[in-house]
Parts: sequence; C-alpha cells; structure tokens
Amino acid sequence: MLRFILHRLVYLIPVWIGISLVAFTLANLTPGDPARLALQRSLGRQPTAEETAAAREQMGLNDPAPIRYFNWLADAITGDLGTSYRTGQPVLDSLIERFPNTLQIAGAGLLLAIAIAIPLGVLAAVYRRSAIDHVSRVVALLGASMPSYWVAYLLILLFSVRLGMLPVAGSSTWQHAVMPAVTLGIGGSASLMRLTRSEMLETLNQDYIRTARAKGLHSRTLLVRHALRNTMIPISTVLGMRFAGMLGGAVIVETIFSWPGIGKLVVDAIFDRDYPMIQGFVIFMGTAFLLINLIVDLGYGLIDPRIRLANR
Amino acid sequence: MRDANHGIDRRTLLLATGAAGVASTLGRTATAQDAPAASARIGVEDDSYRTDERANIGFYPLNTNIFESLVYLTPDYQIEPLLAESWELVKPTTWRITLRQDVTFHDGTPFNADAVKYSMDRIASNGGGVLRIDENSTVIVDDFTVEITPSVTNLRLMQQIGHPNNSILPVDLNPAESRIGTGPFREVEYVAADHYTVEANPDYWGEAPGVGEITFRFYPDPTARLLALQAGDVDLITDVPKQSASQVEAAGATLITGPVGAYEAMYFNIHGEEPYDLGQEPAVREAVSIAINRDQVIESAWQGNAEPGTTMIPPAILGSAVSLVDAPQYDPDAARQTLEDAGWVEGEGGIREKDGRALNLVIINGYGTAADHGSVPELLQAQLEEIGVGLEIVQTPDTATYEQRLQVGEGDLWLEAGSQNDGNPCFLPDLLFSTPVEGGDPESTMYGRAFAPGAAFDAHIAECREAVEVEAVQEAAAMAMNVVINEERVVIPLCGFYRIMGASTAVDNIDLHASGVNQRWTSLTMAG
Repeated sequence: MLRFILHRLVYLIPVWIGISLVAFTLANLTPGDPARLALQRSLGRQPTAEETAAAREQMGLNDPAPIRYFNWLADAITGDLGTSYRTGQPVLDSLIERFPNTLQIAGAGLLLAIAIAIPLGVLAAVYRRSAIDHVSRVVALLGASMPSYWVAYLLILLFSVRLGMLPVAGSSTWQHAVMPAVTLGIGGSASLMRLTRSEMLETLNQDYIRTARAKGLHSRTLLVRHALRNTMIPISTVLGMRFAGMLGGAVIVETIFSWPGIGKLVVDAIFDRDYPMIQGFVIFMGTAFLLINLIVDLGYGLIDPRIRLANR
Repeated sequence: MRDANHGIDRRTLLLATGAAGVASTLGRTATAQDAPAASARIGVEDDSYRTDERANIGFYPLNTNIFESLVYLTPDYQIEPLLAESWELVKPTTWRITLRQDVTFHDGTPFNADAVKYSMDRIASNGGGVLRIDENSTVIVDDFTVEITPSVTNLRLMQQIGHPNNSILPVDLNPAESRIGTGPFREVEYVAADHYTVEANPDYWGEAPGVGEITFRFYPDPTARLLALQAGDVDLITDVPKQSASQVEAAGATLITGPVGAYEAMYFNIHGEEPYDLGQEPAVREAVSIAINRDQVIESAWQGNAEPGTTMIPPAILGSAVSLVDAPQYDPDAARQTLEDAGWVEGEGGIREKDGRALNLVIINGYGTAADHGSVPELLQAQLEEIGVGLEIVQTPDTATYEQRLQVGEGDLWLEAGSQNDGNPCFLPDLLFSTPVEGGDPESTMYGRAFAPGAAFDAHIAECREAVEVEAVQEAAAMAMNVVINEERVVIPLCGFYRIMGASTAVDNIDLHASGVNQRWTSLTMAG
C-alpha cells in the first residue's frame, strides 16, 4: 500500500513540470502586458510609460521568457511560487489562504449532493417506474438544467429576500456558507442521482443478487451490503471527479456570494495576465486532482476487497 | 483657432482657485464635532485593494475618505484647496504650495511638509505617475511650504494632484500594512474581499461626517448587490448597472444619480491599411457620425439612464467653453446623401458599394470590456444598416486583447467607455489623439497611430499644456475636442454616463460625485 502511494506521489513531479510549462507557455502567448494591466487595475487609469517601465522592472518581466520560466521553476522547487502581479502577495500564501474557503463549500456541496442523490437514486432503481422514480427523474432534470447562477439567485430570493434567514453574500459567519454549498450541491446531485440509479439497476439484475434474494436475505441487507456497495465503485470515481471540478470551477458561485475562494482568484488572475498566480493555481490544482484520485483509488480497496487482494 | 497664451508671465500668476477664500474651503468650518451615532452599511463592488508596495491608496471606496489629497476635485471638476491652503507658480515649472497648519493624522502625528515630501517621493519611486515627478521634484521650503518641480514641464500639476492616488500619508507609513490618513473617517477593520469598516474621525479638521460608522461590504456581482439591498443587508448600493436601474425602484428602493463623469464613444481608425482603410474617407466618417441616433441608444441600450454625449470628456470640466463643441446631429437622410455624393451607391443586400467594394465596417467592442457596452454594438449595427453601411461586430474578451488589436489597427470603429477622475481636461484627448512622437508613451503611440487627426489638434493640445489660466485650458481642450468630433469626425460621442446608486428608506441623503474615485462619504446621513 505504502509503495503504491509513493509510486503515485512520484507521478506528481513530471505532472508539475508538464502543467507548469503548459500554463507558462499559454499565459505568455496570450496578448497583454501584465505590468500595464496590473497598473490599470491598481491606479484606476492608464499608466504612463514611466510607471509601466518601473513596474516591468519590479516584476522581472524584462528577462526573456525561458529565463523567467526556469527562474520560476527554480524558486518553485523551494516552495516559492512567486508573487502575484495583481495583488502583490506571495502566490502560495494566497492559494493557501483561499483554498480552505473553496474546500468548505465544495466539501459541503459534495456531502449535500451525496445526501440527495444516492438515496433518491437507490429508491428510483428499487421502485423502478414508480412515482418516486418519476419524481427523481424530474428532480435530476431540474438540477441538470438549472445553471448555477440561476439557482444561486433563486436561493437568495427565497432565503434572504423573502424569508430573511440567511445573508445574501459574504464570508464572516457559517450562515454565509450555506447558500454557496447548496448551489454547488444541487448542481452536483443531478448527474450523480441518474448514475446511482442506472448502476443500481444493473447491479440488481446480477445473478448474485438474485441468488441472495432466493436465499431469503433481508432486503435492506441485500440493498446496502451487496447492491449499493458494488455500485459505489463507479460512483466514487465520479464523486472524485465531481469534487475536483467543484474545487476548480466554483467561480460563478464564489462571485455571486462574495465567497473568497480559489476559483474567483484564478479567473481574476487570467484577466490580469497574472502569470505567477495562474502557474501557481495550475500546480496547486494539479496536485489536488492527483491527491483526490489517489484517495479514490485507495477507497476502491475499502469498498471492494477483491481490489485490495489483487494489489497484494 | 485661438491665440496661444505664451505671453503670460507665469512667475507672477496665481491660480485663481488657489489664492482666495481658502479658509472656508468646501464649506468646512475647521471645527471637529462629536461623531454622530448613526451607522450605514454600503454594498460596493469587488475589493481590488493591493496590500503591497503598490498599495492603491486612492482606490474607491476604500480609502478616499481615509486619506486626503492636497486639493479637492469638485463634482463639476474644478479644484479647491484641501490639505493645501494655496498654491502659486513661482518658476516656469515650479509650484509653491502652502499647507494647512491645523491638521493631524489619525494617529496624532502632525501633518506637515515632511509628509508631503514622503508621499510625493513614494509616487516618484513608482514612475512619477501623471504628475511627472521624480525623487528630486519635491523640496521642503519650511514646515508648511513645499515646492514641486515636475521632471517634465507639467502646468496641469495642480489639476492632477487632487486624484486620490496622490493622497498624503504620514512619514514612513506603509499603506499595505495600515491606513492612517487625515480624512474624515478612520479605519476600524479591514477584512479583504469581505468588508471594510470606518468610523468618523473625532479630530477631523473639517466638517464632521453625517454618520458615525460605515461598513462597506464587497459584492462583486451586481445582481447580488441589488438583492442585498432588497434583503436589507445593506442600506445603500453603489455602481448600479444602467440596465438594472429600474429593478432598484421595483424593489422599493430609491435611485440616486450624480452628474456626468464618464462617457461612451466610438473612434474612427483614420490611418488604417486595407481592409481597415474605409475610415480614411471623410464622407464615410461624416455619414456614420450623423447616422447615429443617440436617443435611441440611451433608451434601448441604457433604459434612459444616460445622457446624449456631446463631448468625450464630461461637459462640466470644460466650464463655459463647453459651448464651443457639440456632437453631430442625427440626420439619416443627410447621411445617405453624403454617401451618394461620395459615390457609394446601394448594392446587393442594401449595403452600399463603390468600385466593387462594399461599405462594410468592423467595430471592435470594446474598452473597458465588451460587457460594458451592453447591446450598443447591435443597435449601432441596425442604425448604420438604415443608411446602407454594414457593421461587423468583433467582441474582445478583455482589455489586453482589445489593445493588442489596436496595436495593429485591425478595425474601423473602436467602441470605448472611459471616465474622468482628475481636473485636467486635456489628459484624455492628449493621451488618445496626439500625433505619436518617437520614443513617446506606448499607449499614446498606439492610439495616435490609429486616431491622431494631425496638426490642428496637436496645436490645441500644445495650448492646453502651456496655458496657466483655467479658462484658457478649458478653451483649448474644447477646441481640441471640436477638431476630433466636428471637423475630422474621428470621435463619435454616444453617451454621457452618470453614477447610479440605490438607497433604502434608511438613507436620508448622499451627494454623488461625478467621479467614483473622488466620492466622499461625509454627506451621507441616515434617516431618524
């Protein structure tokens, strides 16, 4: 097991180099002078040539691109991901400061998605073509067709404007996290619900389920210990991907709810050609994706003993 | 053309605004009052404050009321004394500034010439800004007198120095770490991207603010900001999008508008190479300029929340000289006739042709962002189609892409929005339309290569740079605008924009400044 984990962690090194090179190249190929853009934002006006020249010097933008990349890479190896052109803050500090915020709403959103999708998906499969199956299909259809910004505004109208229960936006109390998490959760639950239903249906038609049922196994035990457990392999794969997607793609939700997460940070960085922040984000999220996949892979062993045995 | 002001003896001239009546500036009584208990919550845009050595101390709404500049830009773009009592031009390019003596910073440190020197040197170390100053520019004469000599002749210094970016800090203050100024409010708490709380400064040298505390809450999304007002999370919201203004009233709140401080305009590329060379033909420029129905743009695209544009810069900044410039009047029949006379006859699909070439223009949308222009490009497309001119719309995703396209001149018409945040009426025209000089400002060169109308315009800008009297500056600016709008038809003004706020019934009064960065919150009072 330890060897497996170490082996996967070693993968991180070429992944880091590869994605940082791609991110650096793409960022540098896009038009725009980061110094000018950073000054425009901070001054609220067009910078003069002298101001731009001073800023370019300060940002180290006068060196050729390959030298800048290797300088950055050398620093990155020591844990220094550079300084944001846009905010002037160390990139790693900004990412570490913002990431837990996104983790909070993405984690809560994922739990909510699981809480909605798995029971409804299982029930829809067990009671196929019943009212509950139809209801779950409608719920999934609604969840999949409603854009996250629309769900967000609906939630604000209901819980803030109409009921006055929750603050519209911000991040200073736990109540502020409720609506962003619910928005992400609703979006994530739709496809998960349909996947659970289809996987469950397939499992319920397997011979071993029929055998277990014929042997008189209690239906709850049959469902939970045998059918659902076997269904969890593809579901956990999708959950891992969904969670990673929530971490990197929560920008709309973060903007509407003024939630200081990592998604909004990087979109602002892209518009401002904040190369160090873009590269830092790519490295950070690449690592997060890999770790999430690792956790999912390890989870397979817990769910299915055959995989655990095969790895020995 | 008017005479230049070369004969004026600058050494003996005082700027009218700086000489008299300084003691009662801005209606202040120089007596601090007890801070009122009322507090206000204001929903504002995204938090863009930088907490590094380039800390943008003038960034609205964070610090405009924490820090103060030497002069104040009034809502009608004139300058009045603030931390400076008076100023005069003592040498051809040297300004002597006399400072107020009854001012302290929020931490009790006295305000004096050392603070001005420190603050100006800080600006100089970052390139000198539009003030064009370097580390040797600011010299202390005595405790309350400084002299500033820009490294490049800049007679507009006092009109520019009032921008909040040029505010005065106590010596050695790093505004990234703490924000201590002389202003009517002092900082209580700053939580980045969440909220910023200020309280009334009990020792303020001027008139006390109307509220005891203000909490600014950041809402990057304008719809969320409006919903926050509706939900009662805030009492006032700033920067209501023009398209959403009606929703503010529908939500039972009051719409507050200010004077015009921003603009939307189209610029014609008059030096483009094929296929972007149609703007070189004066008849095409003239026809397009009179085919635009500004009233329709305002009603349809901006739901009535703008004014017809007459100049590019806010009309108020031109003073009485504003009458020297006006936008071309809408006359589609005359536009058609102009094109007919120039040999552009109706062709296939209703688009005019000449020598086998269709009159299809390309409009680049736009500066600041394409989203800033709403449905304006589509409206312009429909209006130009009425006179047989085709318009292809190219959306640029951000400023950098827009500027890259402008660098190579790939476009006929360029849709821009901008704002005026200091008192120099020539800044924008000079920056955008002056003939490029070798080794000049890259941005000026980029714009000039596409839009510079030439000698007549440059002569007015030169007058503007060299004039000392405010009236002469205004007149030169108006004449320069007249060249680009009415004579050469490079600029087609569309709309004058004013700022829009939404207020709940809890708000009693707020006076809006035309320029967002210059908004002061001292006039804010709460009901009850």
